Amino acid sequence: MSTPPVTPVPGGRVDVLARSAQPRGRRRNDVFRRQQARLGWGLSAPALIVVGAVTIFPICYAVAMSVTNVTATGNGFSLSGFTGSNYSIMFHAAEWRYALFFTVFYTVVTVAVELLLGTAIALVLERLSAGRGWMMALLLIPWSMITVINAELWYYIYNPVYGILDNIFSHIGLGTPVILGTRVPAITALMVADIWKTTPFVAIIVLAGLVMIPRDYYEAAEVDGASGWRIFWRITFPQLRPTIALAVLFRVLQAFGLFDLPFVLTSGGPGYSTQSLAILAYDAMFRDLDFGPGAAVAVSTAFLVVLGCVLFVKVFRAQAGTEA
Amino acid sequence: MLINAFEKAYPKIHVTLQSAPTDTDTYRASMITTISGGSSSPDVYMGDVIWPAQFGHSGLAVPLSKYLPSSYWSTFAPGLVQGATYNGQVYGAPFFEDQGFLYYRKDLLAKEHLSVPTTWEQLEADAIKIKDAGLTKYGFVWQGDSYEGLTCDFMEYLGSAGGTVLNSSLTKATIDSPAGLQAATFMRSLITSGASPAAVTTFQEGNAMSAFAEGQAAFLRNWDYAWSYSQTKASPSKVVGDVGVAPLPSFPGQPSPGTSNIGGWNLYINPHSKNIAADVTFIKWMTSPAAQTILATQFSEIPTVESVRTSAAVIAKNPVLATVPKTRLIPRPAQTPQYAKVSQAIYTNINSMLSGAVSPSAALSAASSQINSAVSSSGL
Repeated sequence: MSTPPVTPVPGGRVDVLARSAQPRGRRRNDVFRRQQARLGWGLSAPALIVVGAVTIFPICYAVAMSVTNVTATGNGFSLSGFTGSNYSIMFHAAEWRYALFFTVFYTVVTVAVELLLGTAIALVLERLSAGRGWMMALLLIPWSMITVINAELWYYIYNPVYGILDNIFSHIGLGTPVILGTRVPAITALMVADIWKTTPFVAIIVLAGLVMIPRDYYEAAEVDGASGWRIFWRITFPQLRPTIALAVLFRVLQAFGLFDLPFVLTSGGPGYSTQSLAILAYDAMFRDLDFGPGAAVAVSTAFLVVLGCVLFVKVFRAQAGTEA
Repeated sequence: MLINAFEKAYPKIHVTLQSAPTDTDTYRASMITTISGGSSSPDVYMGDVIWPAQFGHSGLAVPLSKYLPSSYWSTFAPGLVQGATYNGQVYGAPFFEDQGFLYYRKDLLAKEHLSVPTTWEQLEADAIKIKDAGLTKYGFVWQGDSYEGLTCDFMEYLGSAGGTVLNSSLTKATIDSPAGLQAATFMRSLITSGASPAAVTTFQEGNAMSAFAEGQAAFLRNWDYAWSYSQTKASPSKVVGDVGVAPLPSFPGQPSPGTSNIGGWNLYINPHSKNIAADVTFIKWMTSPAAQTILATQFSEIPTVESVRTSAAVIAKNPVLATVPKTRLIPRPAQTPQYAKVSQAIYTNINSMLSGAVSPSAALSAASSQINSAVSSSGL
């Protein structure tokens, strides 16, 4: 006997960027709205000016630096002449190409693993009746930790002299592994530290999505006799998609700016193997005083990550559209 | 204490001490942003010996030779003022010096009937012998991580082998030479022969120091502070009373002892300072024999003034200060404003080579081409 098809879910799609519903009493509503908007802008203007000063100005300044000849002088930066040489230096540098590859690779792997683990944890947490609050509090500890401190803690584990791993390995007679000094283990070590810290974030976002799925769907599916696996793929997962998309967006934005972990754990080594784009930009600017090329790295990184996110949202929407 | 003494001598000048980050790269970044942002404070700042070219080039420090006569500069130990010079101007007054030393375990050498090694090969053999006898976990520990410290260590092997990083006009890399190859090949052999642990490629000063102070290593390459660190019961040292210090070894057929890399700190003046006359007075006093004697005898720092370095009171203070006059110094190629990139080309490639990812000759040719593009300002 074949299983009957699972009842299709009505109105199950929530867009990542929520769109307002069509207003009914259009004219009056519009006037009211415009008034409201004006008041809103007025009230938030002071805050927006501050935000503008501390975010938009530096962003514009970085863009300007990336296309001019910048020199640091005793009297501040001097920007002169429009030039493409900063970008040309960047594109020709093998270090930049490697850093780009490393950052993308790192982002894809960590976000994928965090998503898998986070979703699994969320599914368990949702079923947990007693002690869910405690479990969530425990889970939040890694997430609430400052990244640099997280990195320092992992350094205690990876340290080759007094590290915990080193100790365990030598006790069970496996010799002393050179974790942070060999390429593949060093990259893996950074990923593990990142995944440990940010999986709870994904888990909690996914959990929030899970609890919002109406119970009736599951009841209906059970009445229809669907298997657990089928329920997950046909109900839970589609319902979770907007939430997962949100988690992925946040994580990609953050992982792409990878800085603290390699800064503390490997300083980009061995060789260049853990040099991320952010580390490269920092080194170019603040160690070499190459502000122009450094700004070019920073601006292109920002551009790439925005582009990546926009594409992701587009693809996500298109897919959601074909399924509806 | 130095500041109190200064204020007593010059009651009209009041000095406020500001603390700075301990990490030299972080400190440099904060000084660059502070000064290029136009701040007039601090008036006088302490800065690494490798900063003069970069800071002089970017106008982040006042050329002190405009205010101080050559009779003043000749009081310093040879090489130090030259290291603080860029384009014919002296930008930093040498405040205290630092350099590489070889620290060894007197008790373990005696147990194995070994003398203090004077060649690198002998050091390697002794380290293996002591380790294989089960007396220590590691033989020889040093700084092999991918950072500035590895450039310092590499310079010592390179200098001992008679090599240089740049030509005298600072326009072309000379690192990819027989001497460079000898230095690099030897460093890698320390790891492959088991004289140094493979993990040395992740060691900075802290790891090397703690391994030695824990009694896990027979030999240590470190700066002057390693003496007091390994000899005070307050720090977690298990080797109090068992440590000896010597100049670094050399390669056979080369002048002995080997070369010690110059580290240390200079005093610089912020170009925005509103009290340059007072700043100069302060710097002059801090580098006077009186202040330098306090620095050496009470803080165990290596003084920069020649008469103080060789004075009996200072030499009697501890074995490190007594070893100083016997060492041969080598500066890093910091005369170029692109030094930071030159150094990075050295430490990243040597670090890869140490981990076994590339061969010594491949690492040197990569470093050489990166140094060439750095000094011609065409690389990232």
